[in-house]
Amino acid sequence: MARDAAAETKSEARLSHTAAMILQAIHAGYVYGFGIMEMTGLPSGTVYPAMRRLERDALIRSQWERQSIADAEQRPPRKYYRITAAGRATLEASRKRYPLLERLIPSEEAKSV
Amino acid sequence: MTPRFGWIFNASHLGLLRAASWLAPASERAEWLREWRSELWHVRRERTAQRAVSWQGEREVTLFCLGAFRDALCLRRHAAIHERRTEAASASPVQCILCMALVLIASFTLSLLLPGVRDANEASRGRIDPGLILIEHPDSGTNSKATVSAAEFDGWRARRQRYFDRFAFYSIARESVTTAEGNALWTVAHATANLFPLLGVPLRFSASPAGADGSAADAILSCEAFERDFEANPRVAGSMMRVGRRLARIAGVAPCGAWPLPGKVDLWLLQPESAVAPGTVGYVVAHLTAAGRAEMFEPNTSITAYGAGDSEIDFVGVALQAHTRVPFDFYRFALLLAFLCLPAVTSVSMGEYSFNSHKPSWPRRLCRWSFLCAKIGLLLPIVYYVPLDLAWWHISTSSFASEYAQLIASFLLCLFGMRWVLLDQRQRCPVCLRCVTHPAQVGHASRTFLSWNGTELICMGGHTLLHVPGLPTSWFGAQRWLYLDASWDFLFAGSSRAGRT
Repeated sequence: MARDAAAETKSEARLSHTAAMILQAIHAGYVYGFGIMEMTGLPSGTVYPAMRRLERDALIRSQWERQSIADAEQRPPRKYYRITAAGRATLEASRKRYPLLERLIPSEEAKSV
Repeated sequence: MTPRFGWIFNASHLGLLRAASWLAPASERAEWLREWRSELWHVRRERTAQRAVSWQGEREVTLFCLGAFRDALCLRRHAAIHERRTEAASASPVQCILCMALVLIASFTLSLLLPGVRDANEASRGRIDPGLILIEHPDSGTNSKATVSAAEFDGWRARRQRYFDRFAFYSIARESVTTAEGNALWTVAHATANLFPLLGVPLRFSASPAGADGSAADAILSCEAFERDFEANPRVAGSMMRVGRRLARIAGVAPCGAWPLPGKVDLWLLQPESAVAPGTVGYVVAHLTAAGRAEMFEPNTSITAYGAGDSEIDFVGVALQAHTRVPFDFYRFALLLAFLCLPAVTSVSMGEYSFNSHKPSWPRRLCRWSFLCAKIGLLLPIVYYVPLDLAWWHISTSSFASEYAQLIASFLLCLFGMRWVLLDQRQRCPVCLRCVTHPAQVGHASRTFLSWNGTELICMGGHTLLHVPGLPTSWFGAQRWLYLDASWDFLFAGSSRAGRT
C-alpha cells in the first residue's frame, strides 16, 4: 500500500501541467496529435514530444488505424493514442494537483453530466 | 494568388518534414515520418482553403511542420538515453557471461541438430586404434595404390607373427550392383569379414548377420551411397541386393565423416578370409602387438617380410591414426596457432599499476581473475562448436573444404575471441567488474614528451579511474588504475558504492 502511494506520488510529481493537459485531452477523447493541439492550444513542437514521453512511460499507447477505414474516407491512415490504466491512475493524481484541469478539458463523463 | 500555387507550399511542407526526419533515429524514422505526413494532410485540410491560397493558413501549417524538428530531436534524445541504458546493462559482468553462455548453448544445440555436425562428432568418437597400420609396398606413393597381393596376405596370416596379431584384406573393383531402386555401376570393396571389427568402426542401422548357409554375403553401404541411392532410409538394413553375380544382404551402413582407409568405396562386400581370390591385389590392414607398437617410433615405419624361399621383401607400415584427423584435432591445432599469434594482435598484459598504494582486497582480485577464467572457459567451447556448425552443417562425408573451413574459423574465432576477452578485461573496473565509460581525451599528442596525454575513463560505480596513454612511453607504457577515495563520493551520490575495497 505504502509502495503504491509512493509510486503514485512519484508519477504525480513527474507530470508537468502541459503533460497532464495532454493526458486529460486524450482521456477526453481527443486521440490524434492535431486534435490535441486544437483542444489544448499547444504547438506541435510541444504536443508531439510530450506524447512521446507519455508513451515511453506507458501512460498512453499508440496504434495505427486500419488502412481500410482510411481508404474508405479517402485520406491517409492516422496514428491514434489511448490512455492506459497506469495513465488513468496518474491522471487521477494529476487532477488533484491541477484542479482546473477537468474544467479546461472536460472528459466525456463530465460533459454528459 | 491562384490555387495552382498550393502544390508549392505542400511540397515545401513535405520537404520540411523530410529534413526533420533526418534528426530522428534511423530505426524509428519511417514510422515517425508516416505519422507526421498523415497529420500534415489533416492540418492542411483544416487550415487551408480549397479554392485559394490562404497566407494565414499556410503560415499555420508551416509552424506545425517546424514543430516536427523539436519532436525529432526529442525522439533522438530518448533513443540516446535508451542506448546508454542498454550499454550500461551490457557492461555488467553477469550480462557478459550470460551472453557467452547463450552463444555456447545455441551452438551446442545446433551441433546436436545438424546431421553433418552429428556425423563429424560421431567420427571423432570412433577413434582409430593407434595399433592399426596399413601395409603397402614402398613404391605405392602418396596415393596409396593397392600393392599387396592376396598370396602375401595369406602367407602373413598363416604364419605366426611377432609384431602383428590380426590382418584384414580388401581389394577394390568396379561392379554392377542391382538394388530395388535399379542397376548401377559401383565401386565395391571385397573385404575380409574381420575388417570392420578390426577397425573398431561402429556400424549404423546394423541388421542381424546373414544366414550361415552362405547364400548371401554381408554388405556394408558407405555413407555416401546410403544417402545418395537410398535417401538415408534406415529401413534399408536387411534388404537384399545383387553385386555382380552374388547375392548380398545389407548388414549396415558405415559411419559418415573421416574414413581412415584408402579408396573411395560405395559398398563393402564382406567375405571369409579363406575366400579371398588368389591373384587379387589389394590393401592389408594389420594390428600391432605390444612388441610391434614398441617398434613403431614414427607414423611410417619400414617392415621386412619374408616371401617364398625366405626372400626379404620391404614394405611400409603407415599408422591409420595418422590418416584420420577428426574435428577435435583441427580445433587443437587452431587453438595452438591462435595462442601463438595472440601477442601479435594485442597485449597479453593486464597492465595494472595503481598510482597509489591502494589495492583491491583478495576476494575482489580473486573475483576478477575468476571472471577472466570464466570468459576463457566459455570461449573455448564456443571456438569448438561454432566453427564445427559452420564447417559441417551441410556436409555428411569427409571433405577437405570443411576441414579447412573449420580450421580457419576456429583459428580466427579463437584469436579475435581471446583478443576481445583481454581487451574487455582491461576495460573493467577491478572492484565491480563493470566496463569503465565516459572516455575523455586529456593532454595534447604534440606534447607527449612534456606532459601526459591519453584517455581517461571512469567507473560509473565511482570505484576507479583508468588512464590509458595515447602513446606508450618508457615512463607510462601501460594503462593504470587510480582507485578513487572518499573525496570523490560527491560525484557519485546517486550510485551504489557498496563494492568499494
